[in-house]
Amino acid sequence: MLFKRTGRAGKAAHELPDTRGIIIFPSVEEALKGERTLKKEGHECKLVAPPPGLRQGCDLALEVQLIEQTALARALEGKVAYLGIYPLKGAAELLQIVKVVFFPQDVMVKAGNMKLVFAQNTGIIVNISGGGCPDVPYLYAQLVGRKLDEVERPRHKGFTLCALMLDRAWEEALAIWKGGRPT
Amino acid sequence: MERGKAHLILIAGTLPAENLGLIHGKVVRAGDSLRVKDFTFPCGQGTGAMISSALAVTSALGLEPPHALLAGDIGRGQGTRLLYQYLVEEVKNLKPQILALHYCLPIVRLMQKLCEVLERCQPRPWLIADAGAMYAAKAAGVAPQFDVFTPDPSEMAFLADPEASHPAYVSRHLFNSGVQDVPDLAKKAYSHGGAARILLVKGAIDYLVTEGRVVARIEEPNVPELECIGGTGDTITGMVVALTGAGWEPAEAAFLSARINRLAGKMAGVTPATPVAKLIDHIPGSLKELAKKEVLSV
Repeated sequence: MLFKRTGRAGKAAHELPDTRGIIIFPSVEEALKGERTLKKEGHECKLVAPPPGLRQGCDLALEVQLIEQTALARALEGKVAYLGIYPLKGAAELLQIVKVVFFPQDVMVKAGNMKLVFAQNTGIIVNISGGGCPDVPYLYAQLVGRKLDEVERPRHKGFTLCALMLDRAWEEALAIWKGGRPT
Repeated sequence: MERGKAHLILIAGTLPAENLGLIHGKVVRAGDSLRVKDFTFPCGQGTGAMISSALAVTSALGLEPPHALLAGDIGRGQGTRLLYQYLVEEVKNLKPQILALHYCLPIVRLMQKLCEVLERCQPRPWLIADAGAMYAAKAAGVAPQFDVFTPDPSEMAFLADPEASHPAYVSRHLFNSGVQDVPDLAKKAYSHGGAARILLVKGAIDYLVTEGRVVARIEEPNVPELECIGGTGDTITGMVVALTGAGWEPAEAAFLSARINRLAGKMAGVTPATPVAKLIDHIPGSLKELAKKEVLSV
């Protein structure tokens, strides 16, 4: 046979990606308020000085777990003013590239690792695929079978970066369905 | 492992429920659903789809059904923490020959802790990961300790990006790579420790990669609609798990699973709106079809 079993590779001796993110605030007061708000909702966070490349507000920022970006943004929304949530290292911006595939009856919109499929004639979401965070199957159950313009947007229901990518796909799908994008 | 002999398969993953504690036991089919002990859950997208396809294979081969370790999690991470905590404490006693990790919040320190424990297991189980567990393994720097990952092309770009901790923050130039660039991405991922020993990259063309080198491409039958269907990646991984449990080498299992999945999609006549359960129904038929062609000796 073509395949043979070989030994497993040893432990990686490579530098690890950084899973931390940072929230930048316009003032020290908002940063302190942000810390109280997030801790109250059970998020781990700590006050730090923003790294030079991300210094755009005050001299105090919050270090968080980046995977929780969607939930963190929702916890702060309307309560605390903040300038943005960013990864501490690596690509500074969330992937914004969207790819669209047309099928005879349906349209698939891909944003990052998430795909949302809707029926061209009704705008009903017929499938969601991709992703790996636990809110993906949850969002599937909430969104599939319902119209694009009648669902609560994914970033309002989900908690993770997968939910944020799905939100990006939903946004684009809605624009295509409403005629705002060439088909 | 001896083919056709029962090997303990343990599939660990979350289900989309808010207040569901830990459940552990043998999986049985209950009509259109699945059951573990007294808990019934749908065989739809996510961990349910993975378990269903594994069960479809073990049933077709007349082998012991897989065991499942489940907990409810809708993205806050509480179920994920329960799963890892239980595995860290119990995996030595459970002694699975195949351990598959699936939908969970990618929490790096939990994955590292689990891998430390697994290193001390004798013999160590075959380790297979998809979805959040694959993200966590890569971000935690333990990807080379895994036997099989089953990424799609966007996740392949993530594995190839040494700085990304999640596919949402992949470097733009890597994400823009086309399906033809998968071999290069795989090489990159392997060279910096972001890949498992075997990668099955699921897409328009499925690539089977061992230790950074493409050893097979699977292109037929071509069913582009499969990419739309939530759970079709989960079904492939479930079959890899079951066939490895049935004694195939993991790379062989991955190769066969990609073929079975495509064939099941064709037999089911899937459209972009097809639910994955319909595809799972055709897994036993696809297995038989491949056996007829002598690709698979059942």
